[in-house]
Amino acid sequence: MGADNLDDSLTTQTENSPRELLARSFFFVCAFVSILTTVGIVFVLVTEATTFFSETAGLRGVTGPTVSIVDFLTGTEFSIASEQFGVLPLLSGTLAIVVGAAVIALPLGVATAIYLSEYADPQTRKYLKPALEILAGVPTVIYGYFAVEYITPLLERYLFPDIGFFNALSASIVVGIMIIPMVSSISEDAMSAVPDDLREAGYGMGATKFDVSTGIVVPAAISGIFSSFILAISRAIGETMAVTIAAGASPKLVEFGTVGAGPVSVPYPDPAYFLEPIQTMTSAMVQLLFSDITGGGVAYRSLFGIGITLFVITLIMNVLSDWVASRYQEDYD
Amino acid sequence: MADNSSTRVSRRKFIAASGTAGALALAGCTSNDSGDDGGNGGAGGDNGGNGDGSTTTEGGSGGSLSGEINVTGSSTVYPLAQAVAEEFMGQHDGVNITIQSTGSGGGFQNYFCVGDSDINNASRPIAEDETQLCSDNGVTPVELKVATDALTVVVNNEADFVDEITFEQLDQIWSAEEPPTTWSDVDSDWPDEELNLFGPTEASGTYDYFLETVIGEEGPGMRTDYQATENDRQIVQGVQGSQYAMGFFGFAYYSNNPDVVKALSIEGGESDGAVEPSLETAKSGDYPLARPLFTYPATEALADEHVAEFARYFVEQSTNQELVAGTVGYVPNSDEEMQEAMDALDSAIESA
Amino acid sequence: MATDTRTTVSEGFGEVSRTVGTAFRYLLLAATLVGILAVGVLFVYVGNDAIQPLTADPGWHLTFFLTLVVPTLAVGGVLRARADGSFRVGLESLGLLAVMPLFAGGVATLFLSVLPALVTFSYAVALGLVVATVVALMRSRRVGFGAKLLVVGVATVVSLLFVPGIIQSLPFVPVEWLLVALTLGTPVAAIAGAYATSSWNDRRTGRIAGAAALGGVVAAGLLGSLIGFGGTAATILAAVAGVPVALYAATALDRHPARRDGLLLPLTVVGGMLLGAFLVRTVGFAGPAAWLDWAFLTGPNSITAEDAGIYPALVGSILLMLIVALLSFPVGIGAAVYLEEYAPDSRLAQLIEVNIANLAGVPSVVYGLLGLGLLARMLDEGLPILPAAIADPLGLEPVRVGANLFGIGTVFVGGMTLSLLILPIVIISSQEAIRSVPPSQRQASYGMGATRWQTIRNVVLPKAFPGILTGTILALGRAIGETAPLLVIGAPNQFGLPQELSSRVGAMPLQIYAWATTSGTPEFYAKVIPAGVVVLLVAMLAMNSVAIVLRNRFQS
Repeated sequence: MGADNLDDSLTTQTENSPRELLARSFFFVCAFVSILTTVGIVFVLVTEATTFFSETAGLRGVTGPTVSIVDFLTGTEFSIASEQFGVLPLLSGTLAIVVGAAVIALPLGVATAIYLSEYADPQTRKYLKPALEILAGVPTVIYGYFAVEYITPLLERYLFPDIGFFNALSASIVVGIMIIPMVSSISEDAMSAVPDDLREAGYGMGATKFDVSTGIVVPAAISGIFSSFILAISRAIGETMAVTIAAGASPKLVEFGTVGAGPVSVPYPDPAYFLEPIQTMTSAMVQLLFSDITGGGVAYRSLFGIGITLFVITLIMNVLSDWVASRYQEDYD
Repeated sequence: MADNSSTRVSRRKFIAASGTAGALALAGCTSNDSGDDGGNGGAGGDNGGNGDGSTTTEGGSGGSLSGEINVTGSSTVYPLAQAVAEEFMGQHDGVNITIQSTGSGGGFQNYFCVGDSDINNASRPIAEDETQLCSDNGVTPVELKVATDALTVVVNNEADFVDEITFEQLDQIWSAEEPPTTWSDVDSDWPDEELNLFGPTEASGTYDYFLETVIGEEGPGMRTDYQATENDRQIVQGVQGSQYAMGFFGFAYYSNNPDVVKALSIEGGESDGAVEPSLETAKSGDYPLARPLFTYPATEALADEHVAEFARYFVEQSTNQELVAGTVGYVPNSDEEMQEAMDALDSAIESA
Repeated sequence: MATDTRTTVSEGFGEVSRTVGTAFRYLLLAATLVGILAVGVLFVYVGNDAIQPLTADPGWHLTFFLTLVVPTLAVGGVLRARADGSFRVGLESLGLLAVMPLFAGGVATLFLSVLPALVTFSYAVALGLVVATVVALMRSRRVGFGAKLLVVGVATVVSLLFVPGIIQSLPFVPVEWLLVALTLGTPVAAIAGAYATSSWNDRRTGRIAGAAALGGVVAAGLLGSLIGFGGTAATILAAVAGVPVALYAATALDRHPARRDGLLLPLTVVGGMLLGAFLVRTVGFAGPAAWLDWAFLTGPNSITAEDAGIYPALVGSILLMLIVALLSFPVGIGAAVYLEEYAPDSRLAQLIEVNIANLAGVPSVVYGLLGLGLLARMLDEGLPILPAAIADPLGLEPVRVGANLFGIGTVFVGGMTLSLLILPIVIISSQEAIRSVPPSQRQASYGMGATRWQTIRNVVLPKAFPGILTGTILALGRAIGETAPLLVIGAPNQFGLPQELSSRVGAMPLQIYAWATTSGTPEFYAKVIPAGVVVLLVAMLAMNSVAIVLRNRFQS
């Protein structure tokens, strides 16, 4: 578009012409699509989930088996065959994946962010950042395959001879790897936003680069770092294919052991849980898609019960992350 | 895996052939016979007659059919349906058959009976409430038996202490009621080693059948602390990996890989003494865990010629030893069974 | 970021505990590399399984080492040592040469397997007529906007309704490759012409470049059909890969003639490959028994591992990406423009922004439920233009459109679902790109009396376009690997070539999942799945690398 053209069109139009209105409404409609998406998700989840819960199923005219909300949220057994739809075993599986992934991704992600923000020269950053993006871009179905085919056999050979063919550990390792970039990029943004004055003040007091990074930059960026943690964990909760392929399809609650003697006994979750096949909320959803052996469609409808639970959990995490980021943000202006 | 299909052109040959066919006319124009523009040509070429039961229907062969066929249902029947669909699509270029492995009941409930699929496979006969649901939605299923499966119980090759097992013992091992933790809990002659169990997930028809036949529908249900997977190979790998493991799945995977694990002979049901799983014992009905496999086309869908043709082909192929037993690993239909299914199908097509 | 001041300041300090500092630095570097290396090792594993390079003769490796690796390293080393930018030209043209044929292959599959050439051509002509009308009207200043809109609307409807039918019923039509050359070559030539016009600042050069591009495409088609390579394939290769590479080389050399030597690098690589291939064939060295071969790429799926191919899944993925790009690109840009240009601080805009941030965090499987519940089930009968609730009281028939598009697992529903899934990412990255356009440029435009829309069209979007494109391509790279939403909307495990938008969807990640779950023989695991994984990874990496290169080029 040459300069003449620009001049031409600049001179012939006015602000409230039909063309302006058309453009404005087109852009508005585009922006409104996102609102419609949210409304659509909530609408679908609510209408379908109400046919699953017995409190509301009557209103929807559903006949056939249903599950009460209380039983769903507090049930300790999840079994399609015996129509037990307690979400706790699935939640327990999801938590195992989250804990394992967080142990890997949070320290590595923060270390990566510190390195990129404080140490790496521009040339190194130019290569490292795209490489990190690829970690998040590898399709999760491939991560699942990696976990089953390469990681579990390695763990079995060198570390845990008793590990199950499907296990929470290998799945959480790949989920951890795939959320590293989420932690590192948001944390790095937060660290980059720390003004150089603060760093220079630190150096002026004789601090080393190590002191400045850990003593000044990280504390100053802590809200961004926590916000990145929450978002990454939220992503791990929603991760589906890798856990479906690698973590198994055996819904079970974590078992607790106890430490201490006499009256003082502290329960702790048994780490052996990681070596066993488990099932997460997301992988249960995939399995439910392919099953309804008892009829009545209750298994199929429970899909939306789990779906709405998952949606609410991730929504809370997102709002929380937003709140943390804004609540504790230092204002440097 | 041996090349077990004489009718299928090797894909490498096919590529070479279509490559040479790609040499185009160089004139600037061709005459326009539009209407037949389904795909890149070249593939309709090789229909090679099929050994037994060649097509004798009107409208016939040669890739003139076109359209979509959506198949859902049992994961047990899935490999058979896939093999048949592969052959059929090789002969009819314009037909796209999609198969979704949904489990028998899931397929009826969520897809077939609400009109979202043309054909549903099942590893058990259709249930009454499912027939009801179908007719509520104006869908009329036609039951066609296409093969017989033998549910196979396997142990590790090293497990020399056990060669056969009774229904009672299987029930004891897999039932949710007081599930034993060691082999010796079941039989004192067996070693005092931990049972390591692998099986299909609850979603599968195999689980359903095992539960119904061995443990009983009214019983306590199946124990849940075994390693469950949709994938037969992973059951085999699990069993291979542990000397004291046990697992069960359809016959197909075992018949393709008979050396990697040991199949147990089963005593129970109607049979006298222990019977080993094989195509013969399943066919004769001696093997107590043999079960028929079905496919259910919707009468309404059979009004479409390509669906009717595919259903006919499926039934014809059900006697194909090489395909059903060789490639897939199930017991083929006898000629009578095939004829019976074909008659049912033909009258359904008539009425469609 | 004031990186420079930071490093200079820090230089003088930190002598006291240098060891701790150094250890910390390397610890951080190690932590940064752990994930990358782990995934890199896994890539090597899976690549080894798919290609099995060790099964080749040692002589095969030696030949290619001598003809390809050694000369490439030598030429690259020399170019790099000269440090005059020719190495960069060499690398970039090599990259283009590696990536563009992949995209050409993608386009080719669509033309060869999904879109009949004549139908595509007829619609392209119809669209071309519409575009011509719009351009002609834009030039005229006498006609009012409302009238223009009316004319364009009528022209669109008439053209799309009648032109394709007329063309398809012509008794004689050009052969397939010529149709494709015209359909694809004309827009490519137009873009090439526009690009040349802007980079040489000369309309005549632009016209020549456009004509040369179209001529080159047609010539390639003719040559391709003559030598038996396939006219259509050659046409598409020339249009999608040949024209961009030639254009890149021409502009790079015109700007810096001294960097001409950089082109030696791609020449060495291509020459080395050809020479190596010739030598191993003459001597008879066996290459690797790769599972990932031409037959795998172009064959249908099968129940037996040795016959299983990925072609239907590949075509399905490309078709899906086409729909996703067509839906999410305009809507994403539109939403970003609204949020940044029209209503930056209004209540509604804030609500929409918060909403988009939350949508970005919704798990993909939940988007699948949206697709299943809304698009596949509730809209099964089509989009209610006149819903029964309104129609019945008025005694009218309810009107629903698109009944065949919606439904369980159709390509269209899959594309819609994936579009909604990546829309937040596209919007957020487009917003960033738009925000990075300096306000001074907008103010200059407004200062000259331009309206908002004119400023957006002439100033903001052209400046932000590379950034928007980068974000969209990265988002598409994510969409191509998504499996869960497709599974949820009812995608099949076994599928053939999609025939139309109402076919049940098939895609590469679905095929990999199906192989892993339903066809689980050891051969599938050891060979077929790795081959499929490599194809999917290559597609994803090609998209990411294009996005990253674009970003590096325009981020300045």
